[in-house]
Amino acid sequence: MLRLVAVGVAALVFAGPAAACAHPRTSLTYLEGQIMCPTCHTTLDQSDSDAARQIEAYIQKRIDACATAGQIKSELVANFGAGILAAPPHKGFDLLAWWLPLGGVIGGAGLLALGVWRWSRRREPEPVVALDPETEKRIDELLADLD
Amino acid sequence: MRLLKLGGQAVALAAVAGMLGLLVWRLTHQAHPPKIGGPAPNFTLRRLEGPGTLALASLRGHPVVLNFWASWCVPCKGEAAKLQQEWTQYRKQGVVFLGIDYHDVGSDARTFLSHHGITYPTVQDGSGKIGDRYGITGVPETYFVDRRGRLVGVHVLGPITESKFAQQFHAGLRAALGS
Repeated sequence: MLRLVAVGVAALVFAGPAAACAHPRTSLTYLEGQIMCPTCHTTLDQSDSDAARQIEAYIQKRIDACATAGQIKSELVANFGAGILAAPPHKGFDLLAWWLPLGGVIGGAGLLALGVWRWSRRREPEPVVALDPETEKRIDELLADLD
Repeated sequence: MRLLKLGGQAVALAAVAGMLGLLVWRLTHQAHPPKIGGPAPNFTLRRLEGPGTLALASLRGHPVVLNFWASWCVPCKGEAAKLQQEWTQYRKQGVVFLGIDYHDVGSDARTFLSHHGITYPTVQDGSGKIGDRYGITGVPETYFVDRRGRLVGVHVLGPITESKFAQQFHAGLRAALGS
């Protein structure tokens, strides 16, 4: 009986916090690649510095407390500034960082297509070279020999 | 068609000029440590141990010890008690110690202050912008500001628990006090 109670208590202790989340729990592995280490300027998953380990511990603590990835990122931005995010947010002026390269690629492709189109139109058809009667007669003879 | 060509060339030229401008701006805005003898770069930062902000300019008239630290920094743990002891001793002479918590998680920093019994004011430099303006290369590092707001003494590049840095620290304090 005592053993059964102990198992029950252990199940409550370990499974309780996991079951308490109303949404799927995010993970440290998922967030590590999106958050920068402020002292080494790499993402957390590529750093082993004390500052990176501290932020990882903070993220894990917040995950355990059922915070979402968005909440954790917002808290980190409030603490460290927007530079803590590996990629700029998809809003406001930061949108430029996403759309400018895409616009550049599309614009470049358009210019290239225009250039190719103009180049292909500019080419004149190759003139048909007429054979002189002597050569034409010789070819006819050779073809007749083949038959 | 000629207009389109000219337009394309103008856009390409503008892009190259923009890139060059960015390069020049980056080169001219690189962080350099402020000169000792020159004015201490001013800042206003959020207080860590309570609400509100604190501006360095508001401490004008007091000698100030600026100590950059972080809770993840191992040497800072060793230095904390010594700094608190120095603060207790020098505050009677009007010296203000100001901790600047650099690239740190606020909640961990508050735990650090409480654990080490730090009672002097501390502000939070989470983004590290102020540390960069002061040319911080790591933590702990310490600067001294005299009553007129000028940097004096030396830029101490290590924990004051080490004898070399302790000597620099006391020389800096004397310079800030003007003695």
